Amino acid sequence: MTAAIPTIALAGNPNAGKSSLFNALTGARQKIANYPGVTVERKAGHASFADGRPLGLIDLPGSYSLTPASPDEAVTRDVLLGQQAGERRPDALVVVVDAANLDNHLCFALELIALGLPTVVALNMLDLATRDGLTLDPAILSRELGVPVVPTVAVRKRGLTDLLAAVDGAILSHQTQATAQSAPPPSDAALHQRAKAISRAATLCETPVRRWTGRVDNVVLHPVGGFILLVALMFVMFQAVFSWATPFADALEGGIGVIQTWVVDSFPDNFLRGLVVEGLLAGVGAVVVFLPQILILFLFILLLEASGYMTRAAFLMDGLMGKVGLSGRGFIPLLSSFACAVPGIMATRAIPDEKDRLTTILIAPLMTCSARMPVYTLIIGAFIPAQKVGGTPIGLQGLVLFGLFLSGIIGALLVALVLRRSVTKGNATGFMMEMPRYQWPRPADIAIALWQRAWIFLRRAGTIIAATTVILWLLLTFPQAPAGQSQVEYSIGGRIASGLEVVVAPIGFNHDIALALIPAMAAREVAVSAMATANAIDAGDNEEAMAEQLSDRIAGRWSIATALAFLAWFVFAPQCISTIAITKRETNGWKWPLFMVGYLFALAYAAAGITYWTAVAFGLG
Amino acid sequence: MNPRLDSAPLGVAVRISRIDWDAMSQDEGRRLREFGLMEGIEITPLHRGSLFSRDPLALAVGRMQVIIRARQAAMIEVAPTAP
Repeated sequence: MTAAIPTIALAGNPNAGKSSLFNALTGARQKIANYPGVTVERKAGHASFADGRPLGLIDLPGSYSLTPASPDEAVTRDVLLGQQAGERRPDALVVVVDAANLDNHLCFALELIALGLPTVVALNMLDLATRDGLTLDPAILSRELGVPVVPTVAVRKRGLTDLLAAVDGAILSHQTQATAQSAPPPSDAALHQRAKAISRAATLCETPVRRWTGRVDNVVLHPVGGFILLVALMFVMFQAVFSWATPFADALEGGIGVIQTWVVDSFPDNFLRGLVVEGLLAGVGAVVVFLPQILILFLFILLLEASGYMTRAAFLMDGLMGKVGLSGRGFIPLLSSFACAVPGIMATRAIPDEKDRLTTILIAPLMTCSARMPVYTLIIGAFIPAQKVGGTPIGLQGLVLFGLFLSGIIGALLVALVLRRSVTKGNATGFMMEMPRYQWPRPADIAIALWQRAWIFLRRAGTIIAATTVILWLLLTFPQAPAGQSQVEYSIGGRIASGLEVVVAPIGFNHDIALALIPAMAAREVAVSAMATANAIDAGDNEEAMAEQLSDRIAGRWSIATALAFLAWFVFAPQCISTIAITKRETNGWKWPLFMVGYLFALAYAAAGITYWTAVAFGLG
Repeated sequence: MNPRLDSAPLGVAVRISRIDWDAMSQDEGRRLREFGLMEGIEITPLHRGSLFSRDPLALAVGRMQVIIRARQAAMIEVAPTAP
């Protein structure tokens, strides 16, 4: 035995409860990264045997067999065969099977056991199987499979100690016996027959299935009722994102204000103080206030996913999405893209068809992500009167916001339709997925996932956004303008903006916007922080100007036509370094991210132009 | 010609009598087999489509439920289960 810490891989079918088992074994001691060269998430963690010896765990992507159908499944195979670059072959394998679905899950289990690694089978979700009226005998199962079988209920942390003890035993006994059996792989049919026979033998008693899931599905998947329920759920979700987040966002904003005041009061007025207050705190603060919204959106998405509803939503949407050449599988990534296109694009890995996946990646940035909210909120607040629409309780501001969301969705569907007939042409292989049973989401699993999302967002705010804001502040501060001239206009940044202004002037954009667009390449929300920083610098020591709200200031300087054009621009513009980077990673090259940036900028320019010219024609210029 | 799965009534168990493996891609065929859809297997169509379309189709295969498209279901011939 090597002195190194043994690595144990968790493998199994999707929906076998693998991730819950991984979370239960490792707790929060886990690390998420990517396998080098591919874009599959590598989940690793630490745990220890009963006597305290440490062990490493990796959670492999769920698969149906060792013949991969998606990039995720290819990683599972390569790691298990020891062919994954940078990854040692695991020392032992825990095969996770759903106790209530042995017929199917044992097929992959048999394939995995045949690999010859020290193997233990975790007979997981035994409680749900019992609920369904199944009584199983782990001893018979173990005899038939030839490996130890340990019953577990991951969500209640049952059987974990036994599982690790069995793994320990399997590693030890494996060294004393040579296991060289390389029979040719059996056919699918033979594998299934064998799986079924074993499952029959291990099943002591099977009462007719209580169709609890079935009864819920009759409502949830009802052709009309189910659809209405889905739309209602989405409506509640977006309402919650905006209303629940407000107190938290206000608190964060207040907190940042307190820090700014404290810095101003405690330090002498110098270069560094300006950088911190006007650059860092104003810029990063303008972005961090959106954390509550993002977390609430993710909370909904995670809950829907963990409960099993997301697959139903995909089922309901598949018919509609099929009409533009996508599949229901794309619904989950696109919904996630409303929070942020980065996790959305990462979630496309579950789409097995390459063309389908590529199209979904290319349209994901059109979903109105949370980074657009600062821009939309600022402009709508400044230009759209807060009044009701013709005596109804519907607010005009909310309606405009809804219109912007809708423009993004309609734009995405049209783009998908065009792409599927041109650059990503190909047969839709369709939509095949397993429909999991309903289950209660485990709060700890949700909490861990939420924390990981929050961390990714904060890290982004702390790095990319902080860096661009600081650079922008420097560009806007130097060289110092002579008295009587506008600092922002005179600075390096202002001069660059004047150059860009020539290009964007035809679509109604002014110097303010040209200035905001450049740093906003890093992230859309930087457009707001950039305007805030420029505003703060321009105000200088002028107390009155400093007190003037950013929205009041632009309301006085921009025409409505310009504001509307600016909104239309942000429906399409691909201004987010992270999205471009993730697209490059997910498509393995620069071809598709460049294509995406190109077509989105073209659309943004056209949309802003049409909006501006139309508005001017109506006398709003 | 035998009835095909894409037009089979919902809620009635049927037996797969033949699958036209040649009409589908290798990947499709493999995924069907991984889901346990093979000749001789008993399945029950459960839900079909939504407001806008007759696609997709949800089936019960043993204790598992799977979703496939109508196009694939059209390649699967079914017969009534033996009484």
